[in-house]
Amino acid sequence: MQSIDHHFLDDYACRNALRGIDTRIKLILGLGAILIAISADTPYAPLFIAIILSIVTVFCAEIPARLYLTLLLIPASFALMSVIVILFLTGGGVPILTIPLPWLTFTATDVAALNAFLILSRAIGGTCGLLFIALTTPMIELFSILRSLRLPDEFIDLAMLLYRSIFVIIGEAVAIYNAQVMRNGYSSFRKGIIAISMLSSSLFIRAWDRGEELMTAMDLRCYDGKFEILEPKASLTIYHILPVFLFLSLAGILAFLPLPFPPL
Amino acid sequence: MHIMEGFLPSPWWQIWVVLSAPFVIMGFYALRRMVRENREALPLLAVAGAFVFVLSSLKLPSVTGSCSHPTGTGLGSVLFGPFIASVLALIVLVYQALFLAHGGISTLGANIFSMGIAGPVVAYAIFIAGKKVGINEIVTIFFAAACANIVTYVVTSFQLALAFPAEVGGFMASFMTFGAIFAITQIPLAIIEGLVIALVFKYIVQLKPEILIRIGVITQERAERLREGWA
Repeated sequence: MQSIDHHFLDDYACRNALRGIDTRIKLILGLGAILIAISADTPYAPLFIAIILSIVTVFCAEIPARLYLTLLLIPASFALMSVIVILFLTGGGVPILTIPLPWLTFTATDVAALNAFLILSRAIGGTCGLLFIALTTPMIELFSILRSLRLPDEFIDLAMLLYRSIFVIIGEAVAIYNAQVMRNGYSSFRKGIIAISMLSSSLFIRAWDRGEELMTAMDLRCYDGKFEILEPKASLTIYHILPVFLFLSLAGILAFLPLPFPPL
Repeated sequence: MHIMEGFLPSPWWQIWVVLSAPFVIMGFYALRRMVRENREALPLLAVAGAFVFVLSSLKLPSVTGSCSHPTGTGLGSVLFGPFIASVLALIVLVYQALFLAHGGISTLGANIFSMGIAGPVVAYAIFIAGKKVGINEIVTIFFAAACANIVTYVVTSFQLALAFPAEVGGFMASFMTFGAIFAITQIPLAIIEGLVIALVFKYIVQLKPEILIRIGVITQERAERLREGWA
């Protein structure tokens, strides 16, 4: 189905091969990688992070490589537009490319090109860190981490109920959408607007009814303002900590070493 | 309009986290108060948040074809107020990053500021102002949702321009360029989102106005007036 993006990464996260490893160490790896990638002054560390984390995600966590590549392309349109702006806006150095237009001239310089490349590499490194967390850590396991961070109980309960509701609602959205497509609901732009509004409003009303039913169900089970979570017991072992520590220190060293950029 | 992971350099991503934090904390308190006063609120907020999430992963029929996702936060803000909307936006943005790879963790602060604070505050202000003046709710909702979308994209351009000022012309030149490029997709999208949310509101008033009356978005008489108007 093309109109609703319901290939949730969470589905893959629940089946990945690194599921048994302690959530904390996976979070430290992913978040640490993101932090190092965005604070690096040269593209070496972000690219190193991107390569290693892609290998880990595809081979160790056994995420299909084709899926991983399509996921990397999701933010590509944003990246492309923004990097082009940066390329032509920032300056310094020697012009390497000039595009004359009737009303103004775009000029890209070598410094700007290096700058744009650095920003792009940070974004790729960061995205690989994000995808690592998204594809190896199911949301369920993150809830217990949120609890231990002492976030308000109402907030965590809201997050859990919201998580649950998404799957209920998206199923109904797909069913309604398919029914609309079969009746030529999206055959013209005008019809499309009307169809999508009808879809959204009936979805909202159904979701609301579900919420009220859920409330009754929760009352029957003596809900008192806090969901208890059973925390899976995974133990931290040195075999997990050591490689993560090594990887992060290597990336950190790469990021803060005064390496020459560009290399020549 | 999500800024992708890793795109904002230090110190900008930290600055936006710091700027967004007070709103989200206010939202936590508003949420706690709402749940204490009315324990039915939690599941309803959850389905509304899930609705915003699903809405923002729908592709709208769009003219330009690319990145045509509605933000959906305008509706959340009109229903529950801007502070609760910022908490919902926080959860929705984390899920979008983790489920769909839209947005990111380090850019969360900046994205909350544009999608979860600036947009909802404007939508709420427009809705309240429209109510005071006595304009038809459907028209007000159209402007609230469309403006929430436009403000979100203007703030995103602002954030990008601050982080990447132009060599010639500095911040303003950069802001205009980012704005102009994103306007190609965002202006038609904002109008479409306004239309869709207004129609959604209209259908809800037609089919189940009790929901809107119960949370105090419109009064009983207004709902009847609106329905009579269409009959």
